[in-house]
Amino acid sequence: MATKILSVDDSRTIRMIVGRTFRPYDCQVCEAGNGEEGLAAAAREKPDLIILDVTMPVMDGVTMLSKLKEDPELKAIPVIMLTAESGRENVLQIAKLGVRDYLVKPFKEEQLIEKAGRIVTLQKKPAA
Amino acid sequence: MNDGASYLELSRRYGFAPKPESASRLTQLVSRQDADLDEIAKVINKDPSLRARLLRVANPDSENEAEFAIETVEDALMRSGMGCVLVLAMSTPLALALTKTFQTMLSLKLDAVDPRELTPLRGEHLLCNIDFSGKVVGNVLLRMSCESGRLIAAGILGAGIEELDDANEIRDVAGELLNIMTGNFKSNLCDAGLECKLSPPMVRNTSDFTPVGTRGGSLERMAFRTGNIQISVEVTANPWSND
Repeated sequence: MATKILSVDDSRTIRMIVGRTFRPYDCQVCEAGNGEEGLAAAAREKPDLIILDVTMPVMDGVTMLSKLKEDPELKAIPVIMLTAESGRENVLQIAKLGVRDYLVKPFKEEQLIEKAGRIVTLQKKPAA
Repeated sequence: MNDGASYLELSRRYGFAPKPESASRLTQLVSRQDADLDEIAKVINKDPSLRARLLRVANPDSENEAEFAIETVEDALMRSGMGCVLVLAMSTPLALALTKTFQTMLSLKLDAVDPRELTPLRGEHLLCNIDFSGKVVGNVLLRMSCESGRLIAAGILGAGIEELDDANEIRDVAGELLNIMTGNFKSNLCDAGLECKLSPPMVRNTSDFTPVGTRGGSLERMAFRTGNIQISVEVTANPWSND
Protein backbone atom coordinates (compact mmCIF):
# COMPACT_ATOMS: atom_id res chain seq x y z
CA MET A 1 0.00 0.00 0.00
CA ALA A 2 1.27 3.47 -0.92
CA THR A 3 2.68 5.63 1.88
CA LYS A 4 0.34 8.55 2.46
CA ILE A 5 1.96 11.96 2.99
CA LEU A 6 0.14 15.21 3.81
CA SER A 7 1.85 18.47 2.82
CA VAL A 8 0.50 21.52 4.70
CA ASP A 9 1.86 24.80 3.35
CA ASP A 10 0.23 28.01 2.14
CA SER A 11 2.70 28.17 -0.74
CA ARG A 12 1.61 26.30 -3.84
CA THR A 13 5.29 26.27 -4.82
CA ILE A 14 6.33 24.31 -1.74
CA ARG A 15 3.40 21.88 -2.03
CA MET A 16 4.40 21.30 -5.64
CA ILE A 17 8.04 20.68 -4.70
CA VAL A 18 6.99 18.25 -1.95
CA GLY A 19 4.76 16.40 -4.44
CA ARG A 20 7.58 16.24 -6.97
CA THR A 21 10.04 15.03 -4.32
CA PHE A 22 7.97 11.93 -3.52
CA ARG A 23 6.90 11.21 -7.14
CA PRO A 24 9.59 8.54 -7.72
CA TYR A 25 8.35 6.66 -4.64
CA ASP A 26 5.24 4.64 -3.98
CA CYS A 27 3.58 7.54 -2.16
CA GLN A 28 0.29 9.33 -2.28
CA VAL A 29 0.74 13.02 -1.49
CA CYS A 30 -2.27 15.10 -0.44
CA GLU A 31 -2.24 18.83 0.23
CA ALA A 32 -3.68 21.51 2.48
CA GLY A 33 -3.13 25.29 2.34
CA ASN A 34 -3.33 26.11 6.05
CA GLY A 35 -3.55 24.51 9.50
CA GLU A 36 -7.34 24.33 9.56
CA GLU A 37 -7.47 22.53 6.21
CA GLY A 38 -4.51 20.45 7.38
CA LEU A 39 -6.36 19.19 10.45
CA ALA A 40 -9.41 18.29 8.36
CA ALA A 41 -7.21 16.51 5.81
CA ALA A 42 -5.35 14.65 8.58
CA ALA A 43 -8.66 13.40 10.07
CA ARG A 44 -9.97 12.42 6.63
CA GLU A 45 -6.86 10.87 5.10
CA LYS A 46 -5.06 9.51 8.19
CA PRO A 47 -1.65 10.10 6.58
CA ASP A 48 1.51 8.19 7.54
CA LEU A 49 3.45 11.47 7.70
CA ILE A 50 2.67 15.21 7.80
CA ILE A 51 5.05 17.81 6.40
CA LEU A 52 4.09 21.07 8.06
CA ASP A 53 4.91 24.76 7.51
CA VAL A 54 4.84 27.26 10.41
CA THR A 55 3.68 30.63 9.08
CA MET A 56 0.32 30.25 7.34
CA PRO A 57 -2.90 32.25 7.24
CA VAL A 58 -6.12 31.11 9.01
CA MET A 59 -4.28 28.66 11.31
CA ASP A 60 -0.51 28.50 11.66
CA GLY A 61 1.56 25.33 11.88
CA VAL A 62 2.24 25.56 15.61
CA THR A 63 -1.49 25.76 16.38
CA MET A 64 -2.22 22.89 14.02
CA LEU A 65 0.52 20.80 15.63
CA SER A 66 -0.81 21.44 19.12
CA LYS A 67 -4.39 20.54 18.08
CA LEU A 68 -3.12 17.43 16.31
CA LYS A 69 -1.31 16.30 19.47
CA GLU A 70 -4.47 16.88 21.56
CA ASP A 71 -6.50 14.58 19.30
CA PRO A 72 -6.26 10.92 20.39
CA GLU A 73 -7.04 9.77 16.82
CA LEU A 74 -4.32 11.89 15.21
CA LYS A 75 -1.59 12.44 17.80
CA ALA A 76 0.50 9.46 16.70
CA ILE A 77 0.94 10.77 13.13
CA PRO A 78 4.59 11.79 12.80
CA VAL A 79 5.30 15.38 11.74
CA ILE A 80 8.28 16.96 10.01
CA MET A 81 8.34 20.77 10.20
CA LEU A 82 9.37 22.42 6.93
CA THR A 83 9.85 26.12 7.55
CA ALA A 84 12.23 29.04 7.07
CA GLU A 85 11.97 29.88 10.77
CA SER A 86 14.50 28.32 13.09
CA GLY A 87 14.51 30.85 15.92
CA ARG A 88 15.22 29.49 19.39
CA GLU A 89 11.75 30.01 20.92
CA ASN A 90 9.96 28.58 17.90
CA VAL A 91 12.12 25.47 17.77
CA LEU A 92 11.88 24.82 21.52
CA GLN A 93 8.10 25.25 21.49
CA ILE A 94 7.68 22.98 18.46
CA ALA A 95 10.00 20.32 19.87
CA LYS A 96 8.05 20.39 23.12
CA LEU A 97 4.79 19.80 21.26
CA GLY A 98 6.41 16.81 19.58
CA VAL A 99 7.84 16.64 16.07
CA ARG A 100 9.92 13.87 14.59
CA ASP A 101 12.18 16.18 12.60
CA TYR A 102 12.68 19.76 11.44
CA LEU A 103 13.91 20.94 8.03
CA VAL A 104 14.80 24.57 7.40
CA LYS A 105 14.01 26.17 4.03
CA PRO A 106 15.70 26.42 1.60
CA PHE A 107 16.08 22.67 1.34
CA LYS A 108 17.25 20.06 -1.11
CA GLU A 109 14.74 17.41 -2.12
CA GLU A 110 17.25 14.73 -1.06
CA GLN A 111 17.22 16.14 2.49
CA LEU A 112 13.45 15.76 2.69
CA ILE A 113 13.65 12.20 1.34
CA GLU A 114 16.37 11.36 3.86
CA LYS A 115 14.38 12.71 6.81
CA ALA A 116 11.08 11.16 5.63
CA GLY A 117 12.81 7.84 4.92
CA ARG A 118 13.83 7.59 8.58
CA ILE A 119 10.15 7.73 9.58
CA VAL A 120 8.14 5.97 6.86
CA THR A 121 8.85 3.33 4.23
CA LEU A 122 9.78 4.88 0.92
CA GLN A 123 9.65 2.28 -1.82
CA LYS A 124 10.99 3.36 -5.22
CA LYS A 125 8.46 2.89 -8.01
CA PRO A 126 9.62 0.45 -10.68
CA ALA A 127 11.03 2.25 -13.72
CA ALA A 128 8.30 2.70 -16.37
CA MET B 1 8.47 14.76 22.15
CA ASN B 2 11.14 17.16 23.41
CA ASP B 3 13.24 15.38 25.98
CA GLY B 4 14.26 18.66 27.58
CA ALA B 5 16.95 19.21 24.95
CA SER B 6 18.49 22.64 24.66
CA TYR B 7 18.29 24.70 21.48
CA LEU B 8 21.89 23.79 20.69
CA GLU B 9 21.15 20.07 21.04
CA LEU B 10 18.03 20.40 18.89
CA SER B 11 20.00 22.38 16.25
CA ARG B 12 22.46 19.48 16.04
CA ARG B 13 19.72 16.83 16.05
CA TYR B 14 17.84 18.54 13.21
CA GLY B 15 21.02 19.42 11.29
CA PHE B 16 20.59 23.22 11.26
CA ALA B 17 23.30 25.17 9.46
CA PRO B 18 25.25 27.44 11.81
CA LYS B 19 24.08 31.06 11.81
CA PRO B 20 26.48 33.85 10.76
CA GLU B 21 28.24 34.69 14.01
CA SER B 22 29.01 38.37 13.39
CA ALA B 23 25.41 39.12 12.34
CA SER B 24 24.00 37.33 15.41
CA ARG B 25 26.45 39.10 17.72
CA LEU B 26 25.70 42.46 16.14
CA THR B 27 21.95 42.00 16.42
CA GLN B 28 22.35 41.09 20.10
CA LEU B 29 24.47 44.20 20.72
CA VAL B 30 22.10 46.54 18.89
CA SER B 31 19.07 45.08 20.64
CA ARG B 32 20.46 46.53 23.87
CA GLN B 33 19.59 50.19 23.87
CA ASP B 34 22.72 50.98 25.88
CA ALA B 35 24.93 49.24 23.31
CA ASP B 36 28.58 50.21 23.44
CA LEU B 37 29.78 51.75 20.17
CA ASP B 38 33.34 50.46 20.68
CA GLU B 39 32.08 46.90 21.10
CA ILE B 40 29.96 47.21 17.95
CA ALA B 41 32.88 48.72 16.03
CA LYS B 42 35.06 45.77 17.10
CA VAL B 43 32.57 43.23 15.68
CA ILE B 44 32.21 45.15 12.41
CA ASN B 45 35.96 45.67 11.99
CA LYS B 46 36.46 41.89 12.23
CA ASP B 47 34.11 41.23 9.30
CA PRO B 48 35.39 42.82 6.04
CA SER B 49 32.06 42.48 4.25
CA LEU B 50 30.11 44.15 7.09
CA ARG B 51 32.73 46.89 7.25
CA ALA B 52 32.50 47.56 3.51
CA ARG B 53 28.70 47.65 3.64
CA LEU B 54 28.63 50.05 6.59
CA LEU B 55 31.04 52.42 4.87
CA ARG B 56 28.95 52.28 1.69
CA VAL B 57 25.79 53.14 3.65
CA ALA B 58 27.61 55.97 5.47
CA ASN B 59 28.82 57.43 2.14
CA PRO B 60 25.64 57.27 0.06
CA ASP B 61 26.75 59.83 -2.54
CA SER B 62 30.18 58.38 -3.22
CA GLU B 63 30.67 56.47 -6.46
CA ASN B 64 33.53 54.35 -5.08
CA GLU B 65 35.73 53.82 -2.03
CA ALA B 66 38.28 56.43 -3.14
CA GLU B 67 35.56 59.09 -2.76
CA PHE B 68 34.52 58.06 0.76
CA ALA B 69 34.51 61.06 3.11
CA ILE B 70 33.85 58.75 6.08
CA GLU B 71 36.61 56.17 6.17
CA THR B 72 36.47 54.50 9.57
CA VAL B 73 33.85 52.24 11.14
CA GLU B 74 33.78 54.44 14.24
CA ASP B 75 32.97 57.59 12.22
CA ALA B 76 30.41 55.69 10.16
CA LEU B 77 28.68 54.50 13.35
CA MET B 78 28.57 58.04 14.76
CA ARG B 79 27.07 59.34 11.55
CA SER B 80 24.65 56.55 10.67
CA GLY B 81 23.42 55.46 14.08
CA MET B 82 22.18 52.18 15.51
CA GLY B 83 19.29 51.79 13.09
CA CYS B 84 21.79 51.49 10.30
CA VAL B 85 23.80 48.84 12.18
CA LEU B 86 20.66 46.84 12.80
CA VAL B 87 19.77 46.95 9.10
CA LEU B 88 23.26 45.71 8.27
CA ALA B 89 22.97 42.89 10.79
CA MET B 90 19.51 41.97 9.49
CA SER B 91 20.57 42.07 5.86
CA THR B 92 23.30 39.49 6.39
CA PRO B 93 21.01 36.47 7.05
CA LEU B 94 18.66 37.82 4.38
CA ALA B 95 21.40 37.85 1.74
CA LEU B 96 22.71 34.45 2.88
CA ALA B 97 19.22 32.93 2.67
CA LEU B 98 18.75 34.31 -0.85
CA THR B 99 22.08 33.00 -2.15
CA LYS B 100 21.52 29.66 -0.39
CA THR B 101 18.05 29.34 -1.93
CA PHE B 102 19.55 29.80 -5.40
CA GLN B 103 22.30 27.32 -4.61
CA THR B 104 20.08 24.60 -3.11
CA MET B 105 16.88 24.96 -5.12
CA LEU B 106 18.20 26.22 -8.46
CA SER B 107 21.83 25.02 -8.43
CA LEU B 108 22.83 28.58 -9.37
CA LYS B 109 25.54 30.72 -7.85
CA LEU B 110 24.02 34.10 -7.08
CA ASP B 111 26.55 36.93 -6.71
CA ALA B 112 26.07 39.98 -4.54
CA VAL B 113 26.93 43.05 -6.64
CA ASP B 114 26.93 46.79 -6.18
CA PRO B 115 23.33 47.97 -6.74
CA ARG B 116 24.63 50.46 -9.30
CA GLU B 117 25.85 47.57 -11.47
CA LEU B 118 22.34 46.28 -12.19
CA THR B 119 20.60 47.24 -15.41
CA PRO B 120 17.87 49.62 -14.18
CA LEU B 121 14.36 48.14 -14.23
CA ARG B 122 11.93 49.82 -16.61
CA GLY B 123 8.17 49.43 -16.92
CA GLU B 124 6.29 46.48 -15.51
CA HIS B 125 8.19 44.37 -13.03
CA LEU B 126 7.57 42.08 -10.04
CA LEU B 127 7.40 43.71 -6.63
CA CYS B 128 7.39 41.53 -3.49
CA ASN B 129 7.00 43.03 -0.05
CA ILE B 130 6.94 41.72 3.51
CA ASP B 131 6.35 44.02 6.48
CA PHE B 132 7.55 43.20 9.95
CA SER B 133 6.32 44.66 13.19
CA GLY B 134 7.11 44.28 16.87
CA LYS B 135 10.25 45.50 18.60
CA VAL B 136 11.52 46.43 15.13
CA VAL B 137 9.30 47.86 12.42
CA GLY B 138 10.22 47.76 8.77
CA ASN B 139 9.95 45.95 5.53
CA VAL B 140 11.83 43.91 2.98
CA LEU B 141 11.25 44.65 -0.65
CA LEU B 142 12.35 42.60 -3.59
CA ARG B 143 12.12 43.81 -7.19
CA MET B 144 12.93 41.88 -10.33
CA SER B 145 12.01 42.00 -14.00
CA CYS B 146 9.11 39.81 -15.15
CA GLU B 147 11.66 37.81 -17.15
CA SER B 148 13.80 37.20 -14.04
CA GLY B 149 10.64 36.09 -12.22
CA ARG B 150 9.84 33.62 -15.02
CA LEU B 151 13.38 32.22 -15.03
CA ILE B 152 13.37 31.72 -11.25
CA ALA B 153 9.90 30.12 -11.27
CA ALA B 154 10.86 27.80 -14.13
CA GLY B 155 14.01 26.74 -12.25
CA ILE B 156 12.31 26.14 -8.89
CA LEU B 157 9.26 24.39 -10.36
CA GLY B 158 11.40 22.36 -12.76
CA ALA B 159 9.29 23.55 -15.69
CA GLY B 160 10.26 24.80 -19.14
CA ILE B 161 10.01 28.59 -19.38
CA GLU B 162 7.49 28.26 -22.21
CA GLU B 163 5.23 26.14 -19.99
CA LEU B 164 4.88 28.97 -17.48
CA ASP B 165 1.88 30.93 -18.63
CA ASP B 166 0.23 31.43 -15.25
CA ALA B 167 1.25 34.76 -13.67
CA ASN B 168 -0.04 33.52 -10.30
CA GLU B 169 2.44 30.66 -10.38
CA ILE B 170 5.34 33.07 -10.97
CA ARG B 171 4.11 35.37 -8.19
CA ASP B 172 3.74 32.42 -5.78
CA VAL B 173 7.37 31.40 -6.37
CA ALA B 174 8.56 35.01 -5.87
CA GLY B 175 6.51 35.23 -2.66
CA GLU B 176 7.98 31.98 -1.34
CA LEU B 177 11.49 33.20 -2.16
CA LEU B 178 10.86 36.28 -0.03
CA ASN B 179 9.26 34.12 2.68
CA ILE B 180 12.36 31.96 2.91
CA MET B 181 14.62 35.02 3.09
CA THR B 182 12.63 36.81 5.76
CA GLY B 183 11.95 33.68 7.83
CA ASN B 184 15.69 33.27 8.25
CA PHE B 185 16.29 36.86 9.28
CA LYS B 186 13.26 36.89 11.60
CA SER B 187 14.84 33.98 13.49
CA ASN B 188 18.00 36.04 13.93
CA LEU B 189 16.05 39.06 15.23
CA CYS B 190 13.92 36.99 17.63
CA ASP B 191 17.00 35.20 18.99
CA ALA B 192 18.48 38.61 19.83
CA GLY B 193 15.34 39.58 21.77
CA LEU B 194 13.85 41.71 18.99
CA GLU B 195 10.63 39.72 18.62
CA CYS B 196 8.65 40.63 15.54
CA LYS B 197 5.91 39.28 13.33
CA LEU B 198 5.96 39.06 9.56
CA SER B 199 3.07 39.92 7.27
CA PRO B 200 2.21 37.50 4.48
CA PRO B 201 4.19 38.33 1.31
CA MET B 202 2.46 40.75 -1.07
CA VAL B 203 3.49 40.14 -4.66
CA ARG B 204 2.25 42.13 -7.63
CA ASN B 205 3.16 43.19 -11.12
CA THR B 206 3.61 46.93 -11.17
CA SER B 207 5.20 49.80 -13.08
CA ASP B 208 5.36 51.92 -9.94
CA PHE B 209 8.84 52.64 -8.58
CA THR B 210 7.75 54.69 -5.55
CA PRO B 211 9.84 53.67 -2.51
CA VAL B 212 7.87 51.54 -0.03
CA GLY B 213 10.25 51.94 2.94
CA THR B 214 9.32 52.62 6.55
CA ARG B 215 9.27 56.31 7.44
CA GLY B 216 12.25 57.38 9.48
CA GLY B 217 13.91 53.99 9.13
CA SER B 218 17.42 53.13 8.01
CA LEU B 219 17.73 51.63 4.56
CA GLU B 220 20.12 49.22 2.90
CA ARG B 221 19.99 48.40 -0.78
CA MET B 222 21.45 45.13 -2.02
CA ALA B 223 21.69 43.66 -5.49
CA PHE B 224 22.25 40.15 -6.79
CA ARG B 225 22.92 38.68 -10.20
CA THR B 226 23.30 35.34 -11.92
CA GLY B 227 23.14 35.00 -15.70
CA ASN B 228 20.09 36.92 -16.91
CA ILE B 229 18.53 37.05 -13.46
CA GLN B 230 18.84 40.31 -11.51
CA ILE B 231 17.29 40.96 -8.12
CA SER B 232 17.31 44.13 -6.08
CA VAL B 233 16.53 44.02 -2.36
CA GLU B 234 15.74 46.90 -0.01
CA VAL B 235 15.62 46.48 3.75
CA THR B 236 14.21 49.27 5.89
CA ALA B 237 14.10 49.08 9.66
CA ASN B 238 13.19 51.37 12.48
CA PRO B 239 14.30 49.83 15.80
CA TRP B 240 12.73 50.66 19.10
CA SER B 241 9.81 52.20 17.24
CA ASN B 242 7.37 51.24 19.96
CA ASP B 243 9.25 53.01 22.73
